[in-house]
Amino acid sequence: TAGLPAALPSLSLELTVLYNALLFAVSESDGLVEGEAERISHGLIRVLEACGVSGQDLSTEELWQKVLQDVTAEEMRAPLHRLGALQGAVWLAANCLGSVTALFRLLSGTKVMLGALYRLLALLKAWSVPAEGDASPLVVQSTKDLKEILWTSAAFLQGLQGLEAGNLSAALSLLQEAAAGFCSKRVLAQIYTCIGCCTQQMGKPQMALQHLKRALQVDFQCLSALSQAAAVYRQLGETDAELDALALLYKALETPAQEAVSIDPCFLIRTELLVHTPALASLFSRSHPSEVKYSLAQRCLQAGRVGQAVEHYLDLLALLQEGPQHQVPLHGRSALPRTPEVFLEAASALEQHGRHQDAIAVCEEIIGRTGDLIPETLRIEWSCGAGGEVTGILPQERESLRCVVWRAAAYLHQGRAWTGLGDSKEAITHFTRCLNVLLRVQLVSTGTVQPARPPTTLPAWEGPPWGWLVLLQGSEPGKHRQGNGWQCLGD
Amino acid sequence: MLSDEQEKILSYNGEVLLFQLSKAKCAAEKTTRLHVKRMAYDNGSNLFLQKSSGLFSMHGGNLNIEMVCCNCTADFRTGINLPCILMREKKNSVYKYFLLLLHSSNKFEQCLNFKLEYELKNDTRLLNGPTVLWRHAKKLFYISTKTCTVLSASVQLSSIEWAGEIENEGNVVLGIRPACLSEEEDGQTLSRSDGAVWHSEFVVYAVENRKILTGICFLPHAYSSVISCVHVCRTGISKSQFRTSVVAITRKRQLIWFQDGLPKGVCQLQDGEPCSVQVAATSRNDLLFVVSFASRDVCVVRKDNFQVASRLQKVKSVLVDDFIGTGTEQILLLFKDVSSTDSLSTFRITDFGEVSYASDISCKKDFPHVEELQENGFLTIRALEARLQAGCTSVRELQQHLQLKKKVLFESCSALIDLVQGTEHILPTAEEKGLVSLWDDAENLLHPLDKKTTLTSGGPEHVIEKLWQRVVDDSLVVGVKITESVNLSLNDVCLSLVMDQHFTSVSPIIQCQSKIAKLNKTFSAMSISSCQMEPQPKRIKLDFCSMNDLKKDYHGRPYKTSADVAKTFIAVTPLSPLLAFRDIRCMILLHAKRKKYQNGNLQESKTLTLLCGKISLNLEDISSGKYSVNLLRNNSHYTDTMEDIFAILAVALKFSFHIVSSDYTLTPVKMWLLSQMECMPIKECPENMFCHKLGSLHGTVFNWNLKTPFEGILTLFCSVVFQCLHSLIGILPPTCKVKALRSESKDILTDQLALALEKEMVTFRSSFSSAVSEVENNLIPSSEADKTMSRVTVSSLSDRKEAVRQFREELKNEQKQSALSMNRTVSGALYRQMALKIAGAQLCSDTIAWRLNIS
Repeated sequence: TAGLPAALPSLSLELTVLYNALLFAVSESDGLVEGEAERISHGLIRVLEACGVSGQDLSTEELWQKVLQDVTAEEMRAPLHRLGALQGAVWLAANCLGSVTALFRLLSGTKVMLGALYRLLALLKAWSVPAEGDASPLVVQSTKDLKEILWTSAAFLQGLQGLEAGNLSAALSLLQEAAAGFCSKRVLAQIYTCIGCCTQQMGKPQMALQHLKRALQVDFQCLSALSQAAAVYRQLGETDAELDALALLYKALETPAQEAVSIDPCFLIRTELLVHTPALASLFSRSHPSEVKYSLAQRCLQAGRVGQAVEHYLDLLALLQEGPQHQVPLHGRSALPRTPEVFLEAASALEQHGRHQDAIAVCEEIIGRTGDLIPETLRIEWSCGAGGEVTGILPQERESLRCVVWRAAAYLHQGRAWTGLGDSKEAITHFTRCLNVLLRVQLVSTGTVQPARPPTTLPAWEGPPWGWLVLLQGSEPGKHRQGNGWQCLGD
Repeated sequence: MLSDEQEKILSYNGEVLLFQLSKAKCAAEKTTRLHVKRMAYDNGSNLFLQKSSGLFSMHGGNLNIEMVCCNCTADFRTGINLPCILMREKKNSVYKYFLLLLHSSNKFEQCLNFKLEYELKNDTRLLNGPTVLWRHAKKLFYISTKTCTVLSASVQLSSIEWAGEIENEGNVVLGIRPACLSEEEDGQTLSRSDGAVWHSEFVVYAVENRKILTGICFLPHAYSSVISCVHVCRTGISKSQFRTSVVAITRKRQLIWFQDGLPKGVCQLQDGEPCSVQVAATSRNDLLFVVSFASRDVCVVRKDNFQVASRLQKVKSVLVDDFIGTGTEQILLLFKDVSSTDSLSTFRITDFGEVSYASDISCKKDFPHVEELQENGFLTIRALEARLQAGCTSVRELQQHLQLKKKVLFESCSALIDLVQGTEHILPTAEEKGLVSLWDDAENLLHPLDKKTTLTSGGPEHVIEKLWQRVVDDSLVVGVKITESVNLSLNDVCLSLVMDQHFTSVSPIIQCQSKIAKLNKTFSAMSISSCQMEPQPKRIKLDFCSMNDLKKDYHGRPYKTSADVAKTFIAVTPLSPLLAFRDIRCMILLHAKRKKYQNGNLQESKTLTLLCGKISLNLEDISSGKYSVNLLRNNSHYTDTMEDIFAILAVALKFSFHIVSSDYTLTPVKMWLLSQMECMPIKECPENMFCHKLGSLHGTVFNWNLKTPFEGILTLFCSVVFQCLHSLIGILPPTCKVKALRSESKDILTDQLALALEKEMVTFRSSFSSAVSEVENNLIPSSEADKTMSRVTVSSLSDRKEAVRQFREELKNEQKQSALSMNRTVSGALYRQMALKIAGAQLCSDTIAWRLNIS
């Protein structure tokens, strides 16, 4: 068709070729790139050209409106609707729900008087796919299939948006619609997991558990269902079940994932390609084994199962020392705290379990590593803002401050351990060292601050390092309060 | 002396023919001479050497003789391909044309003289015959040695794109003509709309047959407005359709390869005006397209990748032939050489692969000697022949073997049929069939059936709830519904129809088929909102049947109980034989085995026969539609819908399909049932759907049972299964697996297998224990005797000698006993009994295992 002028009789074929080519392009690019929209617009402009209407300088939405209103030829109906379905997929993938709704209002030719939530689904349902004639060119994916996939994707996407917006009951019913739709195992498992999240937020934990279980039955690779289930059990206070779920999750994460088998592209356009929102990505991001191990250990410690906690902490320390593949990148979402804090928690667990020598050894590790990182004196000038927040601390200073606190906490642990061993001389030595380390910090206030009233909130200062000191003073393990940390330091 | 020289070059059988026209202006005579030189490439000297030459003198006349065109054409008298050249002589305003044929002896033969009042232009072709073909004023003219006069064809052409010979049609012309909308009679013209779009079309005209062929199988009409050069590479006819390969160049300098009229490859060419395209089949089984440009450039395109293989400049002419004699074609490029008058001085022979010779450099290749090649070929052929013969023999043996097997099968089948029908099967004598029977030809007497059944006529009304009859298609369906309490204790139920009247000629018992129909009545559709309730905390079992199950479960109602299953026994018999009697009354008998439980164990049951009632059947009732199924006609509500459904289900063939999707949910099935099959759920049993689609599928009952979102069982009750399946396969995701299930479901078979295995084990245990007990019974008397003896001896132990003797005796006895115990035997009768029981039990479990395996 290269170089031929646009002519109505050949356009049906041309649009079908465009449709097929775009299907492959979309499937190949594994998401959706900008170029597709351009090519659809070009096809529409050619349709208008054949009808003698100029379509230049119109947006894609306007083009669709013009084409669907002006082109009335019966033989153009099927190819145009087909292309429309593809356009719907492209827009859906770009989360342009408004454009999709407008398009399907044009395609279905009905005016559905429903609420905004169900309008798109109703329009999709009302849209009757034009029958393919026997002589019409073959397509790689039929419009009917595409319609089903669009329906599921639209329901899923809207459900997810409802979930994000906190509109839970609407999200639940949309997600349930999606679960009854046409989709792959992976997507169904994701939908069930989302239903689980939704019902959990609605305060129906048993319902959530049921759906999470279903998700796992459908696709065991859907591990976020497992972590969700652990969260639900935690909410229910069923520590045994929660720890079981976490242990299972850790085991599943340890075994190599069978990613290669799962992808079987028997459909070019799949729900997976159309639904990608940041919320979904964060919900289904694969958690790291060490993160799971950490939460296992922490939960054991919090539940008072010190023996188990110690085992898990030791495993985790071994994992962290094994190499960089087990070290989690430090991003905001990671459940794993900084490595010294993990070590300190491990030391605390060992200490509680009565393994004083081991606790001392673990703390020695921290002391050894932080020695070079702390200056002789750390002079920190800070001021207090109007709202009581601390300002004026540089990031390097903050890091050094953290090291100081880690080191001090390690000494404190060692002191307590020596006390536990009955060697009060050693204990005093280490407590002294602890104080020495802390006294290297010189706080100088520059602003208008009342020294009598230390700031109550320290939002810019992450809590845990301060919290360690609290922890060591015999309060509940694992619970960190920032204000106390400050007081401790001030004492 | 020589001036105004004209030269033409032609390749012929690997030679290059050089035609030179010289006009001698010698004083006395005006002679125009046509020289021909046969040049052949010489491998040794890497030059084109002259092999021979010829001369043709045209005396008298003026000097206005020109060469118009030359080509190799087949002489229809001999069929030999000969070079020929068309000459033109201008006399006043009349053009005189004549064709010269060059024979192998270098003699020219003059044929085909004709005069025209106009000059032939580019659209002139020399074709087999020889035939001269040209276009003038949109008309096609031709002359051949057969016709000897100029004829005009009945087709209008605006240009000739290609001319040549194709199979079965002779010489054909591929041209372009304006689209003619009126011409419909041959059905090969392009459709009205296409013509309106492009205003021109391709036409293929067979010159000798004087008919228009379909042009669409060469090139799509859409290209008729943009095409500039065409070469038809290959044509053939398969299944009365043309198979064509065409290469064409468009005005946008695109080289396009068409196969059977479909574009298969495109190559964008360089700038310039392409004027011709040639095709060379080279040594690597590849085609090269040689495109010559008006600017004396040549561009070579490979067919396998549609990439430009080479670009050459200042090429005087391009010839394609086998110049070096390897069996494949090469391209001869003749370059313009100002220094030499010899046109073959600067050349290059190449196929852009293995072969490359040039006039200045030579890179030879060693080719195996011809003799060696021939010998190799001969040996290969001999070996192939031997293999062929061996293959033939083995095929013949296999055929004989197959025939023998067929014979055995046929014989077994006929024996089986006879056995079923109750007639005696006469085995052909072994000699006659050339077979030896594996079994003894012993007589196989049929035992008369035991008449132990008891006719319990008392109280059928307690057992029978309802008796009904329906006529579906050509079958009579009789149904008996029995009360549920009795239902549970009956086993092996079947119905029989016995005619009241005794016709002497026919048996009173009507042959019929008994079935048991089950339908799950309770299956209420519930709203999806039911699952929004928070379930009780401890609910471990979770199944996928549907959302509805959830509700059922936490309402504490079991999903399926026997009370929910309506059990109806049905007999189906062909109607037409009964109609012969006009008016019939039948007794319906129910045969069953009543289960008896004793100490919780199932004992052998008692056979019982019940008289259920009588039915009458006459033609008037049937024709008035009294017994017909109302469901089939329309879907309005009737009271006896259940009976109707039972009747349909009983008559229709039942097919079950287990559908498993490995990756995608099976929602399309439901969609398919509701939309494509136009199904409506039956009110009484919504699991079953009734197809209202008009056509052969009307009346089909579907049962779609989705076990999980990825697995389900579709049961069809229909007469035509393949239409359904075809349409179903179309909508299922491609990774779906559809497996036909045998009548029983796997679960039931599994249960049965477990029972059968248990029974087998019990049989083993009981028979072994009986055998052991028998053996022990044999042993006990002798051992008891021994004991008494030993006691006696011990008590009177006085003499040592006596003691030794007794001990010896004892030892002997013991030896005897142990020998006996080593070699225990049971009686033949017991052994037979045991073997029979065990074999029976094993057969039973084996059968079920086999059925489970194939289901």
